[in-house]
Amino acid sequence: MSRRLYALLGTIIGLAFALPLLWALSSSLRGGSEIFRHISRLSWETLVPVDPTLGNYASLVTGDFGRAILNSLLVALVTVAVGLLISAAAAFGLSAVRFRGQGALFAIVVLSFLIPFDAIAIPLATLFRDWDLTNTYAGLILPGLGHGLAIFLLRQFFLAIPKDLVEAARIDGLGWFGVFARIYLPLSRPALVSAGLTLFIFQWQSYVWPLLIGTDAAHQLGPIALANMRGQFTIDYGQLFAGSIVLTVIPLLIILRFQRHFTQSIATTGLK
Amino acid sequence: MTGASPRGRSVGRPVLVSLAFLAPALVALLVLRLIPAVMAFASSLSHTSLVTGETTFVGLGNYATLFADPTFLQSVRVTLVFSLIVNPLQIAAALALAVLFTRRFAGVRFLRVLVILPIAVPPAVSAAIWSVAYRPDGLLNSVLSVLGVPPQPFLTSPGQALWSLIVLLSWIGVGYWMMFLIAGLQDIPTSLYEAAAIDGASAWARFWHVTLPLLRRPLAFVLVADTVSNFLVFAPVQMLTNGGPQGSTNVTMFDIFTRAYSVGDLNLAQAEVMLLVLLVLAVVIVQFRLLRGRD
Repeated sequence: MSRRLYALLGTIIGLAFALPLLWALSSSLRGGSEIFRHISRLSWETLVPVDPTLGNYASLVTGDFGRAILNSLLVALVTVAVGLLISAAAAFGLSAVRFRGQGALFAIVVLSFLIPFDAIAIPLATLFRDWDLTNTYAGLILPGLGHGLAIFLLRQFFLAIPKDLVEAARIDGLGWFGVFARIYLPLSRPALVSAGLTLFIFQWQSYVWPLLIGTDAAHQLGPIALANMRGQFTIDYGQLFAGSIVLTVIPLLIILRFQRHFTQSIATTGLK
Repeated sequence: MTGASPRGRSVGRPVLVSLAFLAPALVALLVLRLIPAVMAFASSLSHTSLVTGETTFVGLGNYATLFADPTFLQSVRVTLVFSLIVNPLQIAAALALAVLFTRRFAGVRFLRVLVILPIAVPPAVSAAIWSVAYRPDGLLNSVLSVLGVPPQPFLTSPGQALWSLIVLLSWIGVGYWMMFLIAGLQDIPTSLYEAAAIDGASAWARFWHVTLPLLRRPLAFVLVADTVSNFLVFAPVQMLTNGGPQGSTNVTMFDIFTRAYSVGDLNLAQAEVMLLVLLVLAVVIVQFRLLRGRD
């Protein structure tokens, strides 16, 4: 096949994947009655709003949705910060020195990420109810912290750091925390970015857990607020699309920014 | 297991240091993953009376109840049909797209990003967007009408609802799995293709004898991870079809949540979770066996 044929095929496929998002974007910029006017007959006006308005976004801010987005950001960012610290420390404990029983501890980590989270959501929700963590930020954040995959990713990366470097630093009088903070962490940027992305996306996209544990308006997360928009008697489609775009653009910017680190760390984790 | 090093450097204090570093994560994993897993299993073996609130041990009673329940059996059937369609479809598409988007042609990088875009879309958002696209007067029918196809009922038809979910999930998933396969393809040395070309191998032969064998590890990962994630699909089902019409999209994960929170029988739901996890594990083990056998 020739290059031009590939280019044509690639363009058709790329546009097909982008179409639903482009359509959501243009619909989010239309006034209420405009949304369905140009859908039933496909034309350029289906994708390009003639008279664009930011009204839908403005009304998002005043409603419950703005609060939900801030909640989602808070939950995801705290999870990334605390979760990375816990996971990196654990990965360090599993790779910097060797000791008897390490294999068993690593097995616990692997086992824990083989258990699908949705499978334990029901008993975990029961536990959290007993601990009065329903409708609290702690209740929303905590399940994101115990992420075996993040530990696994970081450990694979840490194992590649030469032990001589650690020995030399130890002889020079650097403490274990110093070795962790001043050698391992700075050398592991791609792995940290990739583990951080995993933690962020897990929280940003989570739906089942916040449905079980964050039900009041003050602790609602973005995806739940969006689902609730659809549950109302009259659906404001303009707001629905605007909410969809906001919930997509935030992780998209982060993924695009760190894409290179992400694929780089796929290459080093032994997935291949 | 590695044991202590002969120099004695790794025994004594460093072990305690390692454990101190590990402690927060181990506590988190125990409390947030392993203990709930054990609780789930225990709960699946007991029954809590709605009248008295008393919990009694019923052994495998809940499992027996499930296997006599037509709704459960229907959901197993739906889940299996769904998995048998969606997994091969997504992996074949991801592989084809990975091969296409590692070629050199104008705009390839930009077009690749377009395919990857849906990764950023949370499941609840894709469900919201596609629920409008699937309306009778929605985007999909207008695209079809350009192609000369009459309007389709999509989500309201028992024959089309599952397919509609499959299209939506593939829109989300294919770009993601493609990324892993592209990373794998880029690792194959070009010299191998040049050698094969000199030997006169056709494009198809090169794909079959060079690309596929060298792509085995990323393909195995994608196959297993895709299968697991498709067994756990929930948000789109809850938001788009609620398991209907006529139970045609009542996948096991949705059945579990209906049982737990609409019907209110947590024990029975937990037994169903256990069965789902067993099914997932069995499928994953079989996949690993098959892939290893090809060595």
